[in-house]
Amino acid sequence: MSADAGGHVPERRRSVRKDPAGLGRRLASLDVVICCGSGGVGKTTVSAALGMAIAAADDKRVLVLTIDPARRLATALGIKGIGAEPVRIPKARLRRAGITITGDLEAAMLDMKQAWDRMIERYSPDRATARRILRNPLYQRITDSFVGSHEYAAIEALYELHDAGEYDCIVVDTPPSRNALDFLEAPTRLTDYVGSRLLSLLSGGPSRFGFRAMNFAAAPFLRLADRLLGAEVLAEVSDFVQQLQLLYDGIQGRARSVYRLLRSPKTGFVVVTTLEQGPFSEAEFFCTKLREFKMPLRAMVVNRVLPDVFNDGGGVAAATTLVEDPKVAAWLTGELHARVSAEPARFIGATFLNRHTLALREARQLSKLSRFGEVPIVRIPLFSDEVSELEGLVRIARAL
Amino acid sequence: MTAALALLGARSGKRVLAIDVDAKGDLAAALGSPPAGFAPRVVQHDLSVLELRTDESFQEYLNIYFKVPRLTRLTPLARVFDFIATGVPGPRDMLVVGKIAYEERRKEPASRSPVWDLILVDCAAGGQAESHLAAPKAMLTLVRGGLIRAQVEWIDALIRDPVRTTVVLCALPEEMPVIEAIELHERLRAGSGVTVDMCVLNRAVDEPVTAAHRRLMSALVDPEHVDAVAQRLGGSPAPLEAGIDLQAHLFDTTARYMRQLRSRLPMPVVPVPFIVDRTGLTTTRAVADALSSRLA
Repeated sequence: MSADAGGHVPERRRSVRKDPAGLGRRLASLDVVICCGSGGVGKTTVSAALGMAIAAADDKRVLVLTIDPARRLATALGIKGIGAEPVRIPKARLRRAGITITGDLEAAMLDMKQAWDRMIERYSPDRATARRILRNPLYQRITDSFVGSHEYAAIEALYELHDAGEYDCIVVDTPPSRNALDFLEAPTRLTDYVGSRLLSLLSGGPSRFGFRAMNFAAAPFLRLADRLLGAEVLAEVSDFVQQLQLLYDGIQGRARSVYRLLRSPKTGFVVVTTLEQGPFSEAEFFCTKLREFKMPLRAMVVNRVLPDVFNDGGGVAAATTLVEDPKVAAWLTGELHARVSAEPARFIGATFLNRHTLALREARQLSKLSRFGEVPIVRIPLFSDEVSELEGLVRIARAL
Repeated sequence: MTAALALLGARSGKRVLAIDVDAKGDLAAALGSPPAGFAPRVVQHDLSVLELRTDESFQEYLNIYFKVPRLTRLTPLARVFDFIATGVPGPRDMLVVGKIAYEERRKEPASRSPVWDLILVDCAAGGQAESHLAAPKAMLTLVRGGLIRAQVEWIDALIRDPVRTTVVLCALPEEMPVIEAIELHERLRAGSGVTVDMCVLNRAVDEPVTAAHRRLMSALVDPEHVDAVAQRLGGSPAPLEAGIDLQAHLFDTTARYMRQLRSRLPMPVVPVPFIVDRTGLTTTRAVADALSSRLA
């Protein structure tokens, strides 16, 4: 059983009130919700808010899984820390922040090292092979130091959690990669890696292809690798890949299962973006790719959208006059019976017009989303008042 | 921000190379150029852009050091190289850092002087930049001999040399980017040993809403005057309150995060204002001007 943020086992009392949650309700029937998008668009916050909205919409046990080592999810949820062990978010705390959930909401952060180790243990034909791989320095470095290893571990952890069936819905906050496609391609890449002929050559022994790799064709490559890496490392690499190849069948089978899960009608992708050019273009590209991969796009969440008031025609006219009319300050002095200087009048007008310029840009971007047809588009406004992290999250959950 | 710093470098007479690690074309676009590609492309006077592609880095590496001919993407060996460069954790990070280090070492064939005076690298998300910068150190624990060991050693020395390499952190005045910048600084110091010299708080809102602004706003929407004001201004002043509220909120937020960054980072934190009325190269120029005035 998981503990709450304070380390206590939470009460099992059920709340009776159900918050109306549009997107939360629509996604509540899914097993897996994957949030994708560029870095800096508020993906982690939206993932946490979606988990909240789903738990508010239905009596579900919901897990929000973050891959981000920057502890953003813990910050967003207003709790001290989240680790690999799921932490239950106390209902009382959520209620105080303004939302009543009928289900359970838990959060966990991927332990990348642990996910990799489990993968090796799962696919190794015997314990000796697993031990040998786990002790290999090359394996240890790959799994805890390098960028690309996040995606492999994330997709594996997702599958494992789903397979265990402990949660009704798992919301995944994908790695902070600018290219979210890495996440989708991770299973294939891992299969390619383990099954590649290159590794057969490097392993220098009988391979799964049934031929001895240390042959005429491999010799120049090995000479090159020896010159590059040195004999000692080459031996380590060779040992590592020889063992790794024993895992091939398991990893290939798992990749097929993962793709089945990602394409399943019980899975949904939610693309999160802002309306700025860079993240928006990437979101459009990603939506197109999801279609190509035949993976179900369920919604787009557009974060930090300026409120409609900044496109108000009357407001624009009034602001323009305040900025451009040199006689307006004098007129206001007469009308308001108080001295009005030009600066505050110009400031009020210019402040509005700046936001109007952005709002126009945003409206142009929003109109482009029609190309994705029936996909629901949820706009989360840019809020202009100060609230705590958790209250802010609740407000976003309500907007969803 | 990378584009603005590159413009400032070129304006000061340096030969600048700006490298886009993600190869998405954002950096070239910010400098008013179409996507640059793997070879440096001149986009402004004394300013070139290069878009880093790790598969091409790998081929270039093999070509320079081992005379392996460059291969078309369709050959099986090219696919293997592509896979090593882009799919295997480790080589990918090293190829990013290695290509940058290679450009730092490049000399003019005739004069033997460095091709670049300043190289600016637009990194991906913070976590990835950290992995790239830590890659040489990680590789050194793995590779204990061979040609790569020697190459990784000089790349590691380049990264750790505070005279030649520094990191500029960039944050937005929002909670998570600020926390991330602070944590990234801590991890960089502990991990790669790279020097961090400056933090830029981009999109800072630095014009406060004063009592005079508030008084005037209240008077404009006062029921006693609002109709006459609306008629004179050509539209209702009521929506303008939203602009003032948002400005006040963003100013307060900026101030709070400036304080947080300044208390947690042992380096100058430089605010750069949010420039909303321009796009593309004109925005970059405006950011460069703002940065220049604040650094002066």
